[in-house]
Formats: sequence, structure tokens, C-alpha cells
Amino acid sequence: MLDDALVRRLLLRTAGRDAEAFERLYELTAPLLMGVALRVTARRELAEEVLHDAFVKVWNGATSYDPLATRPVAWLVAIVRNRAIDLVSSADMARVRQFEDDTDTAIERFFDWAPAAEDTVAQGQMHNWLRRCLGELKAGERQALVLAYMHGLSHGDLAEHLSKPLGTIKSWLRRGLESLRGCVEHCMEPR
Amino acid sequence: MKLAANKALDALCGEYLLGTLRGPARRRFERALREEPSVASRLAYWQATLVPEYGAAMEVKPSARVWRSLRSDLHLDDFRAPLLSRLGFWRGLAAASTAALVLLAVSRLLPVDGEPPVLQPIARLESGKGAAPVLAALSRDGRTLALSSERALQAGPQQSYELWLLPADGGAPQSVAVLATLSARVPVPESLRGRMVDGAKLAVSVEPPGGSPTGAPTGPVIMVGSIGTV
Repeated sequence: MLDDALVRRLLLRTAGRDAEAFERLYELTAPLLMGVALRVTARRELAEEVLHDAFVKVWNGATSYDPLATRPVAWLVAIVRNRAIDLVSSADMARVRQFEDDTDTAIERFFDWAPAAEDTVAQGQMHNWLRRCLGELKAGERQALVLAYMHGLSHGDLAEHLSKPLGTIKSWLRRGLESLRGCVEHCMEPR
Repeated sequence: MKLAANKALDALCGEYLLGTLRGPARRRFERALREEPSVASRLAYWQATLVPEYGAAMEVKPSARVWRSLRSDLHLDDFRAPLLSRLGFWRGLAAASTAALVLLAVSRLLPVDGEPPVLQPIARLESGKGAAPVLAALSRDGRTLALSSERALQAGPQQSYELWLLPADGGAPQSVAVLATLSARVPVPESLRGRMVDGAKLAVSVEPPGGSPTGAPTGPVIMVGSIGTV
């Protein structure tokens, strides 16, 4: 897992136009961000374009990073995902078809459920709860959520990929998100 | 209606983070994020509690050309201190500490916020051998000089480019900057401010890494142009 404290320092120095900090930030985070982009675009050259654009944005606008509000790695991941989603063609069904359906393996393999070094006990606990609550979702809801998140699939892409009507997809996502939140919040309640 | 009062706020936060909120709905949500602090804080809550983090298995090495193009597109070399490291190695500690002082001065002159100053073209440097010309432009306050070229020339590993001002009165060439590439933005040394005037010339020579050891051009002059001819 990337060291949030280090990434945060590098981002703040980057905001001050420190090219060396920017280079270190790139070396440290580019492999993860490339992976995130590639999972969405499914094409290497497109993923590299996303990575390039995201880092241009970070260099030019890193000042809008609020060190108190967000975890820096999550902030970078969000920039890359948004850019990647914008760039892929919604008509590209070949892209949609090649994604792996086995989201349960993906949950174990591609996500990091161990608490981070700078996590408080409560934050570390949160990872456990989230993982458990994902496990408690209905299979279709979980699959739709993970596919949408990992591969940036739209409602229409999901309907095509899972061979379900659009309405079913929308309600899976809505109910899945709602159950996930309810479950995690239930875990957070003091007992 | 304010989005914060919308019962669907949680659903919107969730779908936004998921990436399934698209088109006008996403733009509306992003506007609300900027304008309504309660929407932003609700999203932050979702982000902190309901978004899992990716692990190392997700990593894929990008090819080296991504960094290369970032470096040139963003002119990153203008934002670092190449002189210090190069001088430090080949001229020893004394020169390095002088360079450190120079760099300290330089870093004070460079605009901190990265706002580019307004530039006025002052000279067109030609090689006389068909290489792409280099355009020199001076900021209105005379403190920043920018060089740009259609095809950026990069000095070899064992050499530097040095930019000289050949004064209008025919005096000795004055060093303006030592450069690795002829696409750069440099602070004009204090002693040369106000001297980049009609009749003077700018020239580029090839020098050992770190610049001329003597303070005068020692290598071949590869480009020259008169100020005021643009």
C-alpha cells in the first residue's frame, strides 16, 4: 500500500512547483495509477494518455488538493478514473466484453484490506467492515458494483456485460450502495 | 432546489464515486460539490467509509515515454536546479557553493505561483546552417527571458549550451544562462537587466557541462541573432 503521508508531502511540494517532488510522486504512484487507468480503458496506449493527462492536471492544479479533506492516493485515483471514464467510447462493446466476471476473486486480489500505516485503529477497522459488508451483498449487486468501480462501466455497459435489463442494473446499483452504507454504518455504531 | 436537501444525496454520492453518474447529472453534482459545502462533506464521508483501496496487485508499469513527454510538455527542467548537481561534480565544492548562492538568487526571481509573465519577442537566433531558429522573448519587466524553438535542441551529456549577450557597445560577451535545452525560461541576471536592447545580440555557444570555465565563450557559437529584429 502506498504511504499516504509521503504522497501527501510530495503533492504539497508539487503544488509549490517542485519538479523533483513531482518526479518522485510520479515514480511512486504511476504504477498504481496506470493499473487503475488500464482496468478502465483496457488499452495500453489509451491508459498512458490518461496517466499523462492526469499528471498534467496534478502539476497544473495540485493546489486544489486539500490535505485535510481527502486521502491523497484516493484523490489521485479519482482523477485518473474520471479521466479514463471520459476518454473511453461508450460504444466500444469489445472493451466491455473482455472484462473478467469473477469479481469475488478481484475483491481479494486487487484491493488492499490491511490497515495503512497511518490509520487509526478506527480507520483500520473500517477496512474490515467494508470487506465484510461487501461480502454480505447479494451476488448480482456486488458484481455490478465491483465491475462499475474497477472498469468504469456505465449502466448500459453493465446491462450488456451482465445480460440484464437496464432497470435491473440500476436497481442493483442503488440497492447495493444503500445496503453497503447501511451495513457499514451499523458496524460503526457503538455497542 | 439545493442538492444537499435532496433525499437522493447519498445515492448521488455513491454513483459519483462508482463512476456511473454521467453527463449532465455528473456536471450538476460537481457544481453542487463546489458550491454546497454539505454536499462536499457528504461525499468525503462516502469516500472515507465506502471506497476500498487498491493494492499492489493493481500496479502496471507505464512505459518510459509517459514520463519523457510529461517532462517536455510541462518544461519540468525549467523548474529544477541542474546547475548545482552538474557543477558540483566537475568543479568541486567551492564552485558548488557559489552555484548554490546563484540558485538561491534564481529561485527568488522565479515567479512562485507559476504565473507566466507576459513576453515580448526580442530576437530570432539563427544557425545559418538550416537548423530551426530559436525565438527569444523578454518579459515586460525585463527579468525573465524565454527561449523557444519548434524543434527543441538538447545538449549532449558532455556539454551545455551557454547563452550570451553581446553588448551593443561591442564589449565582452556576458553570460546570461547555462542551459541543457534551447527551450527554456531563465531569469535575466541583475547586471544584464535593461541591456537587452536594440543593437545588442544574443548568441549560443557549446560549452563543457556547467558552462564556460573561463567566463567567456570557449566552444563553437551555434546560433546568433540581433535584438530588435523580430
